[in-house]
Amino acid sequence: MKKHLTFLVMLAMHIYNNVCAQEKIIILNEGLWQSDNGRISYFEDGKVVSNQWFRDKNGYKLGDTPNDIIQVNDNLIAIDVNWSNIIQFIRPDGTAVAATEGVPNNRKMCTDGKYVYVSSYGHECETANGMVYFEKGFVAKIDINSFKVVATCEVGYEPEGIALYKGHLFIANSGGYSGVGEDHDYETTVSIVDASTLTLKKNVDTGIPNLYGKMSQSGRYLCINSPGDYFEIPACGIIFDCEKALNGEDCFVVFDYPATYNTTTLDGKFLAIGSGFSFMTGGYEFSYLTIDPKTMMETHGESGIEHTLPGTMMDDIMGMTQPYGIYVNPYTGYMYATDAGYYTGSGDLYQWSPEGTLLGTHKLYINPGHFLALPPSGHMTGIETVTHAPGSSPSFIYDLQGRRYDNESQLKSGTIYIKDGRKMLFNSQP
Amino acid sequence: MSKRTRHYLHAILAIALASAATAGANAQNQKAKEINEKEVTGADSIRSLHEVTVTVKQPVRTIATSQTLSGADLQALSTTSVADALKYFAGVQIKDYGGMGGLKTINVRSLGAQHVGVYIDGIRISNAQNGTVDLGKFSLSSMESVSLFNANKLDYCQSASEYASGATVYLQTKRPTNDSISIQLRNGSFSTWMAKMNAQFNWKGWQGFIDGEYNTSKGNYPFRYHSEYEDTVGRRTNSDIRYGRVEAALFKGGFSSHIYYYDSERGCPGGIVRRLSDKYTNIGREWDRDFFAQASYQDRFFDKLLFKVNAKYANEYLRYNTKYPENQNTAKVDNHYRQQDAYAAICAAYMPWSWLSISSSYDFRYSLLRADLKRFDDVERVDQKVVLATQLNWKGIQVAASALHQRYIDWTFANAGAADPLYKWTPSVSLAYTYRGLTARGWYKEIFRVPTLNDLYYTQVGNRNLKPEYTKQFNLGLEYHWSKKQWAVDMQADIYQNKVENRIVCLPLKGTYTWSMMNYGETFCRGLNATLKGHYSKQQWHFSLLSSFTWQRDVDRTDPEDGEVYDKPICYSPTFSTGITGIAAWRSLQFTTSYLYVGERMWSMADPEDILEPYHNIDMKLSYTHNIRKASVGLCLEVCDVLDMQYEHLPRYPMPGRNYKLTLTFGI
Repeated sequence: MKKHLTFLVMLAMHIYNNVCAQEKIIILNEGLWQSDNGRISYFEDGKVVSNQWFRDKNGYKLGDTPNDIIQVNDNLIAIDVNWSNIIQFIRPDGTAVAATEGVPNNRKMCTDGKYVYVSSYGHECETANGMVYFEKGFVAKIDINSFKVVATCEVGYEPEGIALYKGHLFIANSGGYSGVGEDHDYETTVSIVDASTLTLKKNVDTGIPNLYGKMSQSGRYLCINSPGDYFEIPACGIIFDCEKALNGEDCFVVFDYPATYNTTTLDGKFLAIGSGFSFMTGGYEFSYLTIDPKTMMETHGESGIEHTLPGTMMDDIMGMTQPYGIYVNPYTGYMYATDAGYYTGSGDLYQWSPEGTLLGTHKLYINPGHFLALPPSGHMTGIETVTHAPGSSPSFIYDLQGRRYDNESQLKSGTIYIKDGRKMLFNSQP
Repeated sequence: MSKRTRHYLHAILAIALASAATAGANAQNQKAKEINEKEVTGADSIRSLHEVTVTVKQPVRTIATSQTLSGADLQALSTTSVADALKYFAGVQIKDYGGMGGLKTINVRSLGAQHVGVYIDGIRISNAQNGTVDLGKFSLSSMESVSLFNANKLDYCQSASEYASGATVYLQTKRPTNDSISIQLRNGSFSTWMAKMNAQFNWKGWQGFIDGEYNTSKGNYPFRYHSEYEDTVGRRTNSDIRYGRVEAALFKGGFSSHIYYYDSERGCPGGIVRRLSDKYTNIGREWDRDFFAQASYQDRFFDKLLFKVNAKYANEYLRYNTKYPENQNTAKVDNHYRQQDAYAAICAAYMPWSWLSISSSYDFRYSLLRADLKRFDDVERVDQKVVLATQLNWKGIQVAASALHQRYIDWTFANAGAADPLYKWTPSVSLAYTYRGLTARGWYKEIFRVPTLNDLYYTQVGNRNLKPEYTKQFNLGLEYHWSKKQWAVDMQADIYQNKVENRIVCLPLKGTYTWSMMNYGETFCRGLNATLKGHYSKQQWHFSLLSSFTWQRDVDRTDPEDGEVYDKPICYSPTFSTGITGIAAWRSLQFTTSYLYVGERMWSMADPEDILEPYHNIDMKLSYTHNIRKASVGLCLEVCDVLDMQYEHLPRYPMPGRNYKLTLTFGI
């Protein structure tokens, strides 16, 4: 009997382990511009469950050119659908919750669990208090209770990457429309905005134009890409220290390689695929980087960059037609990158183990480039229990099991925690 | 049926009944008109030859693969622009962004729009900037015929430019045979209004006309997308157009000249995508001002030497503006492009014996492009062409061969400077044998399209290292003509194979955020084009049947390792399409029905669901002309897309569904 019971328990555990998915990745396929074919792929434990997940779950289409996806709390995910001017909110099971049109030409997002902050290239925004107009670009604050914009703040032209650190938003301005004919120059600044009042604190001038594309965050550090001006000014990358920026110290180092697609690893480093191009020479320069931001800042950029990616990842990516995104699952360390191919066919998803062993490739849809890992089954983000508004103290820290920590000395370096509603990788800092 | 339509039908019935009483008197007129029309068919050659006593025997055209719509057949179609007429030809795919002002270009046998040369009276309408011609800008009212030649036209004396494209569309201007003035007024669906005036004369060997048109349309047609995943209804916005066109032509014998001016403003609507409201419409507007003046003179010396000179000046202005509050999604720009073009050609043909001709031509074209784009600089291009050609026509055997040399040199400081000069020879050869009205033919042609100025120098996209896009076409065909008293039947069928190498496409750059023009890809196309035409006339009845069939398989041959795409059909290429037009006329009452079918087309390779559904289009046209002495009054009702089919040429760019046009014509 006991034997049987043990067997049953083991069987149940086995089934549980198999049923409870560990790798759960949502991927945004941008589709083709103006073809209304932005799609979501859902990948779970080595299989693509669907390449039209949103349609399957909701019976209608997502829209045109989805551009960013973030998890807001245990029950809410935000997707910005750029050409549709929609911010679509879904549950982690893919079902739609709400959608807002208030922020046209939306770009990238971050959240504190209560509000979603969106950067926008547009010049107007519909808020709970009426229309607001801007000369340049802006950041909008969306309340997830009403799904309405409750505050806005004008920043630079064509603001792109956005991140939250200690109650402040850090927004990389690109001025990218300069390149296609608008009457202003490329922007070179990172705007710092108080998240609670949504007022501009200051602009940090990096001297580097066109801060464009995906911006990753590792605790206090940001990894920012600059494609240059595609002519004389070459592409490069920036490591930005939010803590120092808030303290008014020298807060960034520039390195000679672009970080076109970048992501954060479990141990707080950045992985980047860089591609520089100049119309003057018609030539490309590729780079594959592992960046340790702490060392970079400490040595003023002297060291901290390795020209490699874990395992076979670099070689595998070099074999791609068109790399289009890179991502590390913050819960498990499994790594991903996408190949967009030649844009009219379906893109591919590559998956690597945390050590960098290629585990497989999978067919997605057109132009897959943006990722979100869902917490493994049984895990919660812990974000739901955040009670304090960002910026107010004390801000509690939660681990992925929802346990609360009162101070940083209790935390383990290289582990994911939730602080101010934002996932962060903790590094023991000096 | 809408109230307005019912009114139109009532009006037509009333006029039809009233006119029956006077029909007898019209019969004589109609007969005269028919004779006139017969003379007009091919009048360009016959007439001019009489005047200057040039008695060139035109080569037997069956050596070339060609299709022509002319005279009464052309006017009977429910068409207003040249693009509408060409869609009935075999092997033609229309690209149309929909709406009233949408860009209309054609693609022949999947070579690509930039391989189609469009010629008015033998002189090419050029656009060095983007290489395509918006066929919506040319009216049929001043045209005698529209022809499509798949390789070369093969006249004895033609300019080098006429050999320089993969397929050629010839628009033959009308040469008036009498003096007349006519005025046309039209009202159509979606707030479309048109007024047209034509005055023509034929005086002491001089022939000429002035043709003017003004058109305005809101173009706010309804559309519907209905599928498993959506049920979207709406009206097209920013789809309006207003244009004015004035042109005049003057002919005498071997001399012909044409002057043209077109001025338009239009909205450029985007794709229909998911939106929560109609608040943001991505508005962009375009203004065009096109002018050209051209002249040509042809003469014959010593009975054996044919000589022709062509000259043309063209000036085109384009403005594109996106600075509107409704547009929050793109950069706000207001750009102006100015392009000038000067062209001259000299051609000579020598015919030592009646069965042999040797010809040569030299063409020179200078183009200047100016634009107020950032980081852009003037671009100048000199394009020179020389052709050596020969034709032999002996006891039913026809042979034509030509070798074309092209030389392109650009000057600019834009981007990284001018591209390297390009020099290249390309051959073509045609063979045919005719026996009792049946011709068997075969031809081969190599030709390339040179990268356009946009491809090479356009800010942020241009790539000066582009190679020309190269095509090789091979064709075998049969053609048969038969006529007997009241009957005439023409039929032809051609099988073809073509290959396009180094396609010039715009692709995002590897791992960067910019797009650039690149040479990428190779396609291989096999197909069958067939046409059947029948005419029957008896007393006052006249029937025509025009039909065309296209079957083709156009596949990607770029990368054998890319199993998903390699050897798979390329996007936007239907396997089967057909057009059938029936015309029935009794005296001056005429009824036309046109049917067009285009099979399904892929628009992406990523999902079998990404297809454009096949569509059937039925257009109908009923017209009646009533003559009162020398004057005439005509009324014409057209119903396009009778089935109200919702269809697209490009995904999310819906075409208008059922629509009506009522036209009133007064003539003296």
